[in-house]
Amino acid sequence: MERTDLIPGDARKAGPAAVMQAEGMSLMEKLGILSDAAKYDVSCSSSGVERRGDGTGIGNTSRAGICHSFGADGRCISLLKILFTNECIYDCKYCINRRSNDVPRASFTPDEICELTIQFYRRNYIEGLFLSSGILGSPDYTMELICEAVYKLRTLHRFQGYIHVKAIPGASPELVRRLGLLADRMSVNLELPTAAGLKALAPNKHRKNILTPMRQIQQGITQNKEELTLYRHAPSFVPAGQSTQMIIGATPESDYQIMTVAENLYQKFALKRVYYSAFVSVNEDKDLPALPGGPPLLREHRLYQADWLLRFYGFEAGELLSEDRPNFNVLLDPKADWALRHLDQFPVEINRADYRSILRVPGIGVKSAQRIVRARRSGNLTFDDLKKIGVTLKRALYFITCNGRMMYPTKLEEDYLVRNLTGEKERLPFDRDGMTYRQLSLFDDQQEFAFLQAAGS
Amino acid sequence: MEEYYLICEDSLEGVFTGIYDAYLKKKPHGQVHLCVGQEDNYRLFAVYEECRPDEGKAVKVARTIGRELGHEAYMSICRALASPQPDKGEAVYKTVVAGLSMKNRKRVMGNLKNPYIHRVFELARFTANEAHYHVEFLRFRELENGILYAPMGPKNNVITFVVPHFADRLPLENFVIHDTLRGIYALHPAGKDWYLVSGAQGEPGGRDGLENHDSLPGAISGKDHREPVPGAPPMPFSEGEEKYSELFTHFFHTIAVKERGNYGLQRNMLPLRYRKYMTEFQEK
Repeated sequence: MERTDLIPGDARKAGPAAVMQAEGMSLMEKLGILSDAAKYDVSCSSSGVERRGDGTGIGNTSRAGICHSFGADGRCISLLKILFTNECIYDCKYCINRRSNDVPRASFTPDEICELTIQFYRRNYIEGLFLSSGILGSPDYTMELICEAVYKLRTLHRFQGYIHVKAIPGASPELVRRLGLLADRMSVNLELPTAAGLKALAPNKHRKNILTPMRQIQQGITQNKEELTLYRHAPSFVPAGQSTQMIIGATPESDYQIMTVAENLYQKFALKRVYYSAFVSVNEDKDLPALPGGPPLLREHRLYQADWLLRFYGFEAGELLSEDRPNFNVLLDPKADWALRHLDQFPVEINRADYRSILRVPGIGVKSAQRIVRARRSGNLTFDDLKKIGVTLKRALYFITCNGRMMYPTKLEEDYLVRNLTGEKERLPFDRDGMTYRQLSLFDDQQEFAFLQAAGS
Repeated sequence: MEEYYLICEDSLEGVFTGIYDAYLKKKPHGQVHLCVGQEDNYRLFAVYEECRPDEGKAVKVARTIGRELGHEAYMSICRALASPQPDKGEAVYKTVVAGLSMKNRKRVMGNLKNPYIHRVFELARFTANEAHYHVEFLRFRELENGILYAPMGPKNNVITFVVPHFADRLPLENFVIHDTLRGIYALHPAGKDWYLVSGAQGEPGGRDGLENHDSLPGAISGKDHREPVPGAPPMPFSEGEEKYSELFTHFFHTIAVKERGNYGLQRNMLPLRYRKYMTEFQEK
């Protein structure tokens, strides 16, 4: 079964010494190093494709995706997220695996990857494999190694679970095509939202090299859809679509720029997901921002909220932000923020308004809106019914009427609404937004404390 | 005005038979009620009747629900009946009544204004969520003889909603899923259909299926009646088991980004009660 033509003989011989050295390492050490190196990749979804097992191997996939655990950071662990190798010829400033970093290096062999995936999978630890890699030798050589591992997993072990692989920018189109026929989802990381940012922090990467495989995958998917309508058993190409990732907060782009880029990616590249990754400072470099307050998690959160608004709520980036308001409101989520700027469209009558305007009410999500539309067919809804349906009235009550009445007498005034929407429970936890509250003191001990800390005592 | 209470068995069959008998009464539906299991608070001026589960009646009711109210409603009702709540029988009965009186019967589950339908919706949602949690968080361990064993302790009786997923996923594995609270085992012999065995009466020898049931651990074939402890295996684990569980636990710890630590979120997504069965949360 094993196909050896995946790796040309000369490339094998030329395998860097690091691979040899890594062979002395235990599987445990390798897994530690290579999962530690992969953890900054945020994508972990196992969704987008529904496939039942054919009874001859192991595995199936579910359209909604399945998470199998949640780490100490609260992020889901769905796939065995590892790098093939953390060797890299590139020197991207934000990356822990950059060439100039002195970190332990390791590489898996294709067989080790297959073993881990199958053994974890049958114990229901994971939903599949997420395989990324540093660039070993050349993009093509790395892609061939990845290809070999995935090919073995699919054919030798008859693994039918989820496989997400990274396309390495700069790899040949032929390899991308071959990998696309084996994987469920592929992704090429955009890394930074603008070409200028990429040039500053990732001098070896070029935007063209990133967008070319992305375009190729998109065209492959469209073409494959046509093939599948003609021949039902045609091999499917990246059936779960492609995604990408941007680092937030390493370069000075505004939220508006980021959202516009994301919107373009969704519209022009038909991406399934764009991931935003709050910049975690792992390297010391003069070109990187200092982040004393930790990674910009709130900003990342707002971007995700807006991303959902783009994909599921029929919003456009231009509605949420503009050149004059380039960043999201720290205190309010993007939807509430939008609603406050468009009070003329409220209140919305729950029993009459169309689905799209109900969807735009803060506090009402896709599920609630669907339930409302279904439930009102069999009678007028009251606020009590809404509560039972599961609408969070805490925010929605200021923007809706049931049978022409509001829940409580409220005012549709911006100041009043801001005050209420950012009430006790809505308020952000301390420190998260850079604001702290403490009692006024005669002695400014805080500064002294900071001084002492800086002095190292 | 006389009120009738039908006491039916706590099972799908029992409640469906109850619904059949309730219709047989030919009384206004407001006067007939279903109770599940033991009624502990008897009312005055009400007639209580035992209702013996009858497969024929249950099948008829199931067929009617599936045909008239649609598959979605049928599944919701099955899920609601997997709940341990005592009012589920009444809610399901009145949902069927409400559904059959609607003009568009297939839309019955959308009518959340109706308190009974809403209750069924609520119970079904809880069961569905819990079943999904088990699809996510169930952990198999390999026993010495190569069988995969997974204990669980769900609040609802979700085992029948969970097993098909794994039967499709692991067709060539011998695996056992064990509901430790109810003493139910789901057995899946490699390459064959799965079936349920109740721990108390279980004697899988009589059924076709596992040829190697001699090698099955005592607790699984029902000969051993010791109280099952969550996570305690019926026989020693295989050699590989320790290696891979350690590898995964190691992976679990390295994959978290320290700078983003958020235990509250972790607890939201992965409730504590599931953790005692999960490999990565076992204390060494």
